[in-house]
Amino acid sequence: MSCFVRTKRLSLFLVKLVGKSSLSPHILCSSSWFCCPRKTAPYCVPSSALLQIRFWAAASTSDGLTLQAILANNWSILDENDGDWKSHASAIARSIHLIKRRLQWDKLKPRLDMLSFQLNKADFWDDPMRAAKLSREHGSLLGKMKLVNALEQDLLDHIDLIKLARQDNDAHLESESLKALVNMRKNAKEKELEALLAGDQDSCSCYIEIQAGAGGTESMDWAAMVMQMYMSWAQRRRYKVTVVDEMPGEIAGIKRATIKVDGEFAFGYAKAEIGVHRLVRISPFDSNKRRHTSFAAVAVIPILGDGSTHVQINESDLRIERFRAGGAGGQHVNTTESAVRIVHIPTGVTATCQNERSQHQNKASAMAVLQSRLDQLELARQAQLNAQHTKSLTDITWGSQIRSYVLHPYRMVKDLRTNYEVSDPDSVLEGDLDGFILSYLSASLDKDDDA
Amino acid sequence: MKVTLTSVYSPYCFPTLLKSSSLSTLCRPFCSSALPSPPTCVKPQVPIFLRPPIYSNKLCDLNKWHDWAKGVAFSIGSTFVHSDNGPDSSILCRELKWLMEDAVEVPSLDDERVRMRIDIEELYCLWKQRVHERRPFQYVVGCEHWRDLVLSVQEGVLIPRPETELVVDFVSDVVSENEELKRGVWADLGTGSGALAISIGGVLGSGGGRVIATDLSPVAVAVAAYNVHRYCLQDKIELREGSWFEPLKDMEGKLAGLVSNPPYIPSKDISGLQAEVGRHEPRLALDGGIDGLHALLHLCDGAALLLKPGGFFAFETNGEQQCKALIDYMENNRRGSFCNLEIRADFARIQRFVIGFRQ
Ligand SMILES: C[S@@+](CC[C@H](N)C(=O)[O-])C[C@H]1O[C@@H](n2cnc3c(N)ncnc32)[C@H](O)[C@@H]1O
Repeated sequence: MSCFVRTKRLSLFLVKLVGKSSLSPHILCSSSWFCCPRKTAPYCVPSSALLQIRFWAAASTSDGLTLQAILANNWSILDENDGDWKSHASAIARSIHLIKRRLQWDKLKPRLDMLSFQLNKADFWDDPMRAAKLSREHGSLLGKMKLVNALEQDLLDHIDLIKLARQDNDAHLESESLKALVNMRKNAKEKELEALLAGDQDSCSCYIEIQAGAGGTESMDWAAMVMQMYMSWAQRRRYKVTVVDEMPGEIAGIKRATIKVDGEFAFGYAKAEIGVHRLVRISPFDSNKRRHTSFAAVAVIPILGDGSTHVQINESDLRIERFRAGGAGGQHVNTTESAVRIVHIPTGVTATCQNERSQHQNKASAMAVLQSRLDQLELARQAQLNAQHTKSLTDITWGSQIRSYVLHPYRMVKDLRTNYEVSDPDSVLEGDLDGFILSYLSASLDKDDDA
Repeated sequence: MKVTLTSVYSPYCFPTLLKSSSLSTLCRPFCSSALPSPPTCVKPQVPIFLRPPIYSNKLCDLNKWHDWAKGVAFSIGSTFVHSDNGPDSSILCRELKWLMEDAVEVPSLDDERVRMRIDIEELYCLWKQRVHERRPFQYVVGCEHWRDLVLSVQEGVLIPRPETELVVDFVSDVVSENEELKRGVWADLGTGSGALAISIGGVLGSGGGRVIATDLSPVAVAVAAYNVHRYCLQDKIELREGSWFEPLKDMEGKLAGLVSNPPYIPSKDISGLQAEVGRHEPRLALDGGIDGLHALLHLCDGAALLLKPGGFFAFETNGEQQCKALIDYMENNRRGSFCNLEIRADFARIQRFVIGFRQ
C-alpha cells in the first residue's frame, strides 16, 4: 500500500475517533498490541483481552455495514478482473463466512473460554503434559480467531476507505483501495483453502501405503502407477518423499509399498486419497488387447509430531524378523539384502522396511512406521473415531471405491464421492491431484457442517 | 612359531612379566598358515563415496552405462541363487542404485553433465567385477553400511554382517544398567573393519570407558584404524595387532567386557561357500578349524582369564550346535568361571550368540 494511502488511512482512523464519539472496540484490534490513546501514559493491553471483548461486538464500517449485512445483500460476484467493490466485498465476505464455518466458529468461543479458565487455574501446570497440550490448543485457537477477525476488519476498513475516497472525489485513493480489495480477495481465497485443513493431525507428515488389488500383474502395474502419482504429487507440493518399503511384483509393478511424505499439511491433503482407486484400460500385458479393470487400495497414516500422543512400545512385545531364504547366515553369507519386518505381538500390527543400506536402519524405519500405525490405532480407539481417514489398509474393503481412472474407451478421471472429474488422465497420473483433493475436502467439511 | 608383535598402534603394549602359564598357550595363534608378514605399512583405500567428485561426465553417457549395467544384472536372473545362494537380479539392481548414489554427486552440474567420484570407464570395470567375478558389492564401493555407521572395507577385511549388529545391542543393554562396566575397558577380538569396537566405543559414551581392538591381520588393523579415525574415536579405541589375547597380556583380570565374532565356519564348509564369500573374503576371517570351534573355545579360556568378576562377554557363533557346545564347555571345563549364560537368536531365528558374565 502506498504511503499516500497510509496517511489517508490514518485520517480515516481519526475521522472515526472524532466523528463517532464512542470508541468501538474493533478499531483497537488491528495490531497485536494496542496503546490506548485516552490514557496519559501509553498503556498496553494484550490483544487477546481485546479480542475477547470484540468477539461479541460485531465489527462494522463507519456507516454501520457488517459482514452479515454484506452477505445478506447478496451482491453478485463477478470475475476478479472486473466488477466493482461490491462484487469483491461480497466474494471476500463469502470466504470469511466459509472459513468461520470450517473453524466451527460458534463452538470456538466457548472452547476458548473454557481453555482460558483452565489456564488461569493455580494448579494448571501440575500436569505439565496436559498443560502443554491445552496451552497449545489455546494458542492455536486464539491465532485462528485473530486471523479471521483481522480479515473481517480489513474488509470493513477497505470499504470505509473506498467510501471516503468517493466522498472526497479522490480517484487515486479509490483505485488504490480497490486494488487492495482485489488482493484481499485472493488472500481470503487462500485462507479459505487453508481452513480446510483445521483437523488435529492435518498439519502432520504422513505415510502413504499402496496395495495392489486382485488381478496379478495387471493390478501390480496399476499400484506402481498410483505410487508414482503420489510421489509426483508430493514433489509438486515440494514435500520430501522417500520410499520406505516396496515389494515388487514378479513381472511388473508392485505388490505393496509405503512412501513417506514429509512436510506441513501432507496428511491433511493426502487423507483425501484414502480408499480404492480403479483403472480401466487396454492392458499392456494382454496380447489380445482386451480391456482390463484393476484396483489399488490407498491408506494414509499421520506421523504425529508431539510425543504426548505416542504409544509406548514395549521391546518385549516385538518380534523382529529378517526376510531371507533359509541358510546358515552369519559369516556364510554376504548379501546386501537387509529387509526387516517388525511384528507388534499384542496387536498383530506389522511394519517392514527394506530400502536402507543397513539392517539397523531398516529396523529404525520400520519402527517409525510401526509407531505411527500404533498411534493411529490408539487415536481411533480413544476417540472411537470411525472417520474414513483412520482406516488402515486392511480395513479398506475393496468396495470403498473413491475414484475411477478410465483410459479406454474414453478418457476421464472421476471422483465418485464428489463427482469432480477431468478429461485428462495423464496430468492426474503425473500428480495433478489438487483439484480432486480440495473438492473432496470442502465437500466433506461442508457435509460435516450441515449434519 | 611364536609371534611377538608390538604394533605401532598400541602405545600401551609394554612387555609384561608373565607369571601365568596359561597365557603362553593362549598366545599361540592356531592358524599358522595365516601368519602376517612383518607389519608392512598397509595403506587403506578410500571408499568411493568419500572421494572428491573430480570427474565430469555427460548425463547421457552415465545413462548408457546404467542401462548396460541393468541389462547385465537382468541377464543373471536367479542363476546365482541356484548355484550357491548368491544374489538375484533384483538384489543386483538395488546394488546398482547404491553404486550410483555413491559415485554420482547430486545435484548435477546442469541438465547435461554430472560430477562423479570415479570415471565412467571405471564404472564399467567395477560392474563387470561385481557380476562376472562375483566381487562383493561392498568391496566394489569400498564401504558397508552397518548399524548407523558407514565403514570402509577392502579385500583382506571381512565385510561386517547384519547379524553382528545385535552384539552392540547386548552391550548397550548391559552398560545401561551397570555404570561400572560402562566406565571399564572392553576388548573386541578379531575386530576386522572395527565395526564392533567403534559401535561399542559409541555406546560407552564419554564416561571414561574405552575399547581395545585386536586383529592378527595387518590389513584389518589398518582399515580399522582408518574407520576409528573417521569417527574420531582414536582416544577411546586402541588398536593392537596380534593373535587373540597375545596383545592383551597387560589386561589379565581387568576387562569389563569382551566381544568377538571370530572365524567359526568348519573348514570343510569353506569350499561350498557363496562365491562372494569363498572367493573374495579372507580365509583367516572365516575358517574356524575342523569343527569351527577352534577360536571360540580359545576365547572362552581367555575370557575366564581376562575378564574381571562381573565382566560381560558376547560371542557370535555358527548356530545352535556351536552355541550348545560352548555352553557345555563353559559349564564343565570352565566350571565356576561364568554365570548367567544365555543363548540369543538373530533376526532369522537362528541361535547365534552366547552371552554371559564372569563369576
Ligand atoms: C569373522 S571376522 C570378524 C570381523 C569383525 N569383528 C566383524 O564382526 O565384522 C574374524 C576376524 O578375526 C581375525 N582373526 C583371525 N584369526 C585371528 C587371530 N589368531 N588373532 C586375532 N584375530 C584373528 C580375522 O582377521 C578377522 O578380522
